Amino acid sequence: MNNNSNKMFFLFILFFSTLISISSNSWFGCWIGLEINLLSFIPLISNSKNLLSVETSLKYFLTQSLASINFLFMILIKFSLLKNFNMNNIISIMMNSSLLMKMGSAPFHFWFPNIVEGLSWMNNFMLMTWQKISPMILLSYYFNKNFLIFMIIMNLIIGSLGGLNQTSLRKLLAFSSINNLGWMIFSIMISENLWLFYFLIYSMMISMMISLFFLMNMYFMNQLFINNMNFFIKLNLLINFLSLGGLPPFMGFMPKWIIINFLLINKFYFLIFIFMMTSLIIIYYYIRIIYSSFMFNYFKMKWVNLLMKNNMSLINLSSFISISSMILSTFIFM
Amino acid sequence: MLIYDIWFLFIYMFSVGNLIFVSKNKHLLVVLLSLEFIVLSIFFFFLVLLMFIDYDMYMLMVFLVFSVCEGSLGLSILVSMIRSHGNDYFQSFSML
Repeated sequence: MNNNSNKMFFLFILFFSTLISISSNSWFGCWIGLEINLLSFIPLISNSKNLLSVETSLKYFLTQSLASINFLFMILIKFSLLKNFNMNNIISIMMNSSLLMKMGSAPFHFWFPNIVEGLSWMNNFMLMTWQKISPMILLSYYFNKNFLIFMIIMNLIIGSLGGLNQTSLRKLLAFSSINNLGWMIFSIMISENLWLFYFLIYSMMISMMISLFFLMNMYFMNQLFINNMNFFIKLNLLINFLSLGGLPPFMGFMPKWIIINFLLINKFYFLIFIFMMTSLIIIYYYIRIIYSSFMFNYFKMKWVNLLMKNNMSLINLSSFISISSMILSTFIFM
Repeated sequence: MLIYDIWFLFIYMFSVGNLIFVSKNKHLLVVLLSLEFIVLSIFFFFLVLLMFIDYDMYMLMVFLVFSVCEGSLGLSILVSMIRSHGNDYFQSFSML
């Protein structure tokens, strides 16, 4: 039932749907792109022999179809009330709400950790990176600043506090994704170029982490502590987690730095406080994982042999990129 | 009846469809039916809107095609759920 040509077909349509949605001339074309996105993502994640994936695809379908139908209704209301500028506030709030529900941003985030828990790592990577592109770009076309700032604050707080009690790596990355969505939505309001920069770096970091978890077939936190991993693999995990949290010498600090710079120049002091404090909570629970696996529970058991010799170059390369990209990026202009 | 009262009808239909979608139902099919009801209300709304632009109904057909695709996708997920769980009751999910 699962052959690779099916997946390639639906992946191609998935990529194409995002391009349709971004590059359309009217809001209706955007809706069409979102619909095709849903139509092509569901076959990628549903697998009728598995109870968990049936439930996952059902939840995904219900939330996404509701959001896109609401989006279409608001498009029609906007179309019918073209000269009535008094309704702009309400219409923009409703359209932004439906797009936020498509993305999995708070307060419409309740489906996101559940679905991420039910998907494999490759599908998670698709869900966390590619599926966020078209709602975010559509958000940038018609957003309501006050409403979005409130949503950003909720995203940050829920993303940081929600991950505190998780033992599943997928849910941890889901809450981290919700937190990073807060940063990304704010960067949309600054400039679309900055959003693109943040999004590329975020997807690079997530791809490094997910490729590591996929190769080791790790889904839960206790698997991090028990496995007899190579030193470099654990170091790579440490570097990637800290980079995702946004600590300075690593790659993940750069887009956050630019956003904080903008916030400081324009005197958004309350927002900076919330950004910083929630990042602190996130780094806390990353460090809790990493220190336990790297320093305190450093097992070297003799009966578990993990042969990772073929993939070491990729891991070393990703560590190198994470550490040195901030310095190397200054060499571009020489 | 004034012509402006019809907007209330569309918003009312849409809201009722959403209300049934988010209500606690025993069967999944009720949820999918409410989705189709929302699609119907949008179809009506679209029809009336396009009548004001010299009866240009082509976009309505495109909308109909995509909504039907989405409805059939929902039904196929319902079928796969019945194949694996045996029934329609999505209150009995225990995995996630």
